[in-house]
Amino acid sequence: MSSQGIVFNIQRFSIHDGPGIRTTVFLKGCNNRCVWCHNPESHEKKPELQYFPERCIGCGQCFSICANSVHAMVNGARVLKRDLCTNCGKCAEACYSGALEMAGRFMSADQVMEEVIKDKVYYDNSNGGVTFSGGEPLLQKDFLKELLFASKSQSIHTAVQTAGNYEWSILESLLHLIDFIMYDLKIYDYDKHVKYTGVGNTRILQNLKLLSETDKVFAVRTPVIADINDSPEEISKIAETIKGFPGLLYYELIPYHNLGASKYRHLGKEYIYNFSAPANEKLRLLANAASIHVKNVRC
Amino acid sequence: MDIPADYIPTYNERIESLRRKKVQFTERKIKTRGYFDNDDHGCIPWDEPIPFKLKPNHPSGGCYGIRCIGENFRHWLEVHPVYINPMSSLAGAWVCAVPGIGGWKPEDRPYHLYPLHKKYNIVYSGIGAMNHLGPDMRIGLELGWGGLLNKIRKYRELNRPIDTSFYDGEEDVVLGVQAWILRHVIKAREMAREEKNAFLKSNLLSIADMNEWLIDNPPRTLREACQFLAWFQSIDRMYHTGGALGQLDELLRPYYERDIKNGLETDESVIWHTASLFFNDTHYSQLGGPAPDGHDLTSPISFLILEAAHRLKIPCNLAIRVHDGLNPELLRRAITYLFEDGTGPSFSCSKGLDEGFVKNGIPIGLARMRAKVGCNWTALPGIEYCLQDVTRLCLVSPFLHAFHEIAEDPSEEKTMENLWEHYKRHLSTCVDIIKQGFDWHMQHQSENAPEIVYNLFCHGPIERGLDVAAGGVDLINLTCDGVGLATVADSFAATEQRVVKEGRLTWEELKHLLDTNFEGAEVQRLMLRDIPRYGSGGSRADWWAKEISSLYTRLMNEKPTPMGFNVIPGLFSHGVINRLGRDLGATPNGRFAHAPIAHSADPDPGFSKDWGAAPTAKSNAVAYVQPGYGNSAPLQIDLDRELIQDAGGIEAVEALIKGHNALGGTLVNINIVSKEQILEAHKDPDKYPDLVVRVTGYSGYFRSLSPEYRQQVVDRILSRN
Repeated sequence: MSSQGIVFNIQRFSIHDGPGIRTTVFLKGCNNRCVWCHNPESHEKKPELQYFPERCIGCGQCFSICANSVHAMVNGARVLKRDLCTNCGKCAEACYSGALEMAGRFMSADQVMEEVIKDKVYYDNSNGGVTFSGGEPLLQKDFLKELLFASKSQSIHTAVQTAGNYEWSILESLLHLIDFIMYDLKIYDYDKHVKYTGVGNTRILQNLKLLSETDKVFAVRTPVIADINDSPEEISKIAETIKGFPGLLYYELIPYHNLGASKYRHLGKEYIYNFSAPANEKLRLLANAASIHVKNVRC
Repeated sequence: MDIPADYIPTYNERIESLRRKKVQFTERKIKTRGYFDNDDHGCIPWDEPIPFKLKPNHPSGGCYGIRCIGENFRHWLEVHPVYINPMSSLAGAWVCAVPGIGGWKPEDRPYHLYPLHKKYNIVYSGIGAMNHLGPDMRIGLELGWGGLLNKIRKYRELNRPIDTSFYDGEEDVVLGVQAWILRHVIKAREMAREEKNAFLKSNLLSIADMNEWLIDNPPRTLREACQFLAWFQSIDRMYHTGGALGQLDELLRPYYERDIKNGLETDESVIWHTASLFFNDTHYSQLGGPAPDGHDLTSPISFLILEAAHRLKIPCNLAIRVHDGLNPELLRRAITYLFEDGTGPSFSCSKGLDEGFVKNGIPIGLARMRAKVGCNWTALPGIEYCLQDVTRLCLVSPFLHAFHEIAEDPSEEKTMENLWEHYKRHLSTCVDIIKQGFDWHMQHQSENAPEIVYNLFCHGPIERGLDVAAGGVDLINLTCDGVGLATVADSFAATEQRVVKEGRLTWEELKHLLDTNFEGAEVQRLMLRDIPRYGSGGSRADWWAKEISSLYTRLMNEKPTPMGFNVIPGLFSHGVINRLGRDLGATPNGRFAHAPIAHSADPDPGFSKDWGAAPTAKSNAVAYVQPGYGNSAPLQIDLDRELIQDAGGIEAVEALIKGHNALGGTLVNINIVSKEQILEAHKDPDKYPDLVVRVTGYSGYFRSLSPEYRQQVVDRILSRN
């Protein structure tokens, strides 16, 4: 019997989430709240209603179908009373223009694998595979375990993207099913980490250390965010932390982008911060700082 | 040329000069001839009058049959303008088709089929269509024009036909070519006398000497071989815009190896000669691929030919033949250039094509020789009459007939099974009409519009005194291409889901929506569109697409034409989706009346708003619905330059092509363009005069396309994931 999890996206022909052509499965729910996050729909471990006003044709289907009167006209303007919304998804089902869509759906592992297996021929031709991302995929550990097991059973290369903020035993119990791990280390300084991600980094650093003591191949990744961690000193500290890890394949600096800003609006959330994307020169400077400690630095 | 007298342009400067000239020519052609929704074809703009007067042989004023066509063709070549670009290593270019030649005698036209064509939207019946078979250019390269002339005379003498028209017509064409070449020899010497720059003077004299030799003799060197092919390309175009060349690397390899060994050429000079050949015309040719015994045909000159197209950066119709043994460097190089140039070679897939063609009773060794020499198609060089890419069956029209019959007749069962039965009946009628048309074509084509150019480069016509369509070659495989698969599949699925399963609409209500073109019913239209569509994978629409493709294939394959000709089905629209959609009413997939129907076997743009609309999803869908008998159903992929240019992009595209080949796909066409650039170019085409895109099977200047055709490209790019 296939277990259920909540998934907010399955991206095929993904070429930035590990080696080769991959299908990236995004599991919903995260226990960090990074202020720069470009996937706000990943935060909550439940389906959420998204509204795209530019697609609305004013058909009124949502008004008539919603039992809680979430959709209303106030002073001639269309409003969405999210406090009344139970995220049942009925209005999105009836919205053929796509103005209302649900972020996230419950799926069985079999259903997810049905999507994943479709591109096996391309994985085989590119040394690609499947990547489980999030949110934080390890928060759905049983579901993830089933997905990893099913993937390995089909001889599909597996990768996991994680922020490492959980008990070590969770990751440890899955290691034998994972071929490659992309581990986020976002900020070295503890206080800053708390301030900008909502959580401390002690456990994250511990887990990374424990991971480095296994025989797993992994990468460490840092999103480069202006005025938060984009100094050579900060990056140098992170790089020094991972220096000499035998399983480290590469260290990657990921430039911030603001493509997620509109997603906050669609979810009725406020995007408080709006950082500038780092210039190429800045990235090179940071990469140089990192490469003092780590051999293979990507940006 | 305005360059210092003692300056020797580098090879790259010569090629760049040709590129600039092509851009200028394109601009002039658009101004004088309007948009052209096909590729460049190499023709040059010409403003001066050409002193040609057609000598007809029919009361209608037309010119029909090989003798009359030969006479007029020869006369045309005797007065056709002479063109030499001193920066090219080759002479010649064509201006326009032989005026007044073409079509059929009024009494031979298939009037009895016209009402059926109209009923079923058969706009491209293939009757009277020309070219679209593959020449064996080795025949010409080994004999030269003089040798071809001797061959014609020899077999006329040997066969002693009562009616010598066939040989007379063919002889006239060759004599016309020789006369045309001679005028280039004279012109080149005149230009050389006037030329101040020493290199250009020397180049013009080389052109003159080379062509003086080629009037009667076969080419001895790679440059001469390219020049011979250029003459072929030009006269092939003049006669109904033929465009097939062949396995170019193999054609040129013996000359290349000899010239390099003898120190006559360098790789750089070979690139220049090949670029000059591409400047001359956009004929279709193949690089790499399997030999009859399966070994790969890639050789050093394959890379040089690819390099020439890359440096020239004008529309060019090369294909890489992908198979398991393909030189990996050739594939990688082609994809790398695709990334740099935005467009480049297409990728013809051997597994689907060769294994499919074998099902027609052809040995695998022969199947492997079928080279990619057209938009979407392959042909056996010089031994097969296949009439590819000219006959299209609109898959949508039979659906509309079926649907309206059921919806309008109260006695008809309102079920999907009944709808399918009606569709089968109408599609079967369409197939029969196409086959009847093929027979009509085969009965009348040679006496009206014989393949006067290709006969010279096929094995049999001259030897037998028969046109290729009249028994000149041994193999006859006629082909038909279905169009609009996604429109029909999505229409079946939308009807099934919204009417039969969910009961959101009755059959009558859906009929009303179609009759009123969804007037005031946008919600219902969007509801019909908002189903899991063909391409999403595993959906009912995918299932219907497979059913329709299988039915169409079976109907085409299960019996030959009434006269016994084999027909091989494919799925390809070229760019005629607007024309085919023009006369059709609205369809249950939410398509408005008169709007374009779907391309080839491709899912509709934006086929999945969900998580399926990836190139791999499209690739899987198209591979799944292949008819599978050696005709093609191409996959068109448009990728965003910004999204894919990072590390891993080239490898991903390579894996996509290999994956499509492994799944049994037949052809992959790829554009890599920036969304912003294509939108800007659509708005202001003149801003990007040298932007080349792969439209469907051919590549062309984006600015030369009509707004309708540009929109097709834009729609695909905007809808990608």
